Amino acid sequence: MKQLLEHIAKALVDEPDHVEVRQVESERLIMLELRVAPEDMGKIIGKQGRIAKAIRTVVSAGAVKNDKRVVVEIVQ
Amino acid sequence: MSEYEATGRTLDEAVEKALVSLGIKKENAIIEIKDEPSQGLLGFIGNKNARVCVKPVLDPPEYLKVYLEELLRYMNIDGRITVTEEADKLDAAIFGQEVGALIGRRGRTLNDLQYILNIVMRRQYALLNKMIVLDVENYRLRREKVLTNLAMSVARQVSQEGYEQALEPMTPQERRIIHIALQSYPGITTYSAGEEPFRKVVIAPH
Repeated sequence: MKQLLEHIAKALVDEPDHVEVRQVESERLIMLELRVAPEDMGKIIGKQGRIAKAIRTVVSAGAVKNDKRVVVEIVQ
Repeated sequence: MSEYEATGRTLDEAVEKALVSLGIKKENAIIEIKDEPSQGLLGFIGNKNARVCVKPVLDPPEYLKVYLEELLRYMNIDGRITVTEEADKLDAAIFGQEVGALIGRRGRTLNDLQYILNIVMRRQYALLNKMIVLDVENYRLRREKVLTNLAMSVARQVSQEGYEQALEPMTPQERRIIHIALQSYPGITTYSAGEEPFRKVVIAPH
């Protein structure tokens, strides 16, 4: 899951080296914390959060197989 | 996509110029140094500029294919990917046994992934003026048939009963299919109403 989110995020930002994902897993939930360079925040969120929403949809689709809900948090 | 030669006072400056002209990022560039810059006598007599030749590692269709292959790998999905370049678009198609997760409910995952691909490709190739169209297991083709049938049956109802009917919210591409299907249907007219992403087609008596 972590790698999937990294793969998507890195291609969207100007500073791929500053993309960082932390994965916290519990019984039913996978929590992914995404950090990017401050200048890249807008590139990952998009107008009215449209890019962030699309990222969440695709990452959730990647989790269908392991039966857990995925939450993507974009953190400052 | 072709290569680009640029000069500058320093190597970095020359490379930057070439990257901007090609609209690509450094990670996707092969940089060949033609001339190292050199300082002449007293720093100004006989100065030589740096000269570099830059070209992309992957052209857009290749990049898109590799990007999707990796995406599927990280999603743990087996699929075959083809990318075809057309005059105004790049067509990406995915086929496989278990690719249903990529379509999602009413094509939501498919549409969101297509949206991401369009942004990724624009970020990686600033000069690319082609749309990315993604399809999975011919979903778009099948959806087109379903929507055309729906359009026809609602149009029949509207022209019989004389009341307008709104369909469920659809994407611009899907609404377009409805409008086109009913373009020449006698006695009815179609228009879109509401704001994205809840915009719907209304079928009304003429």
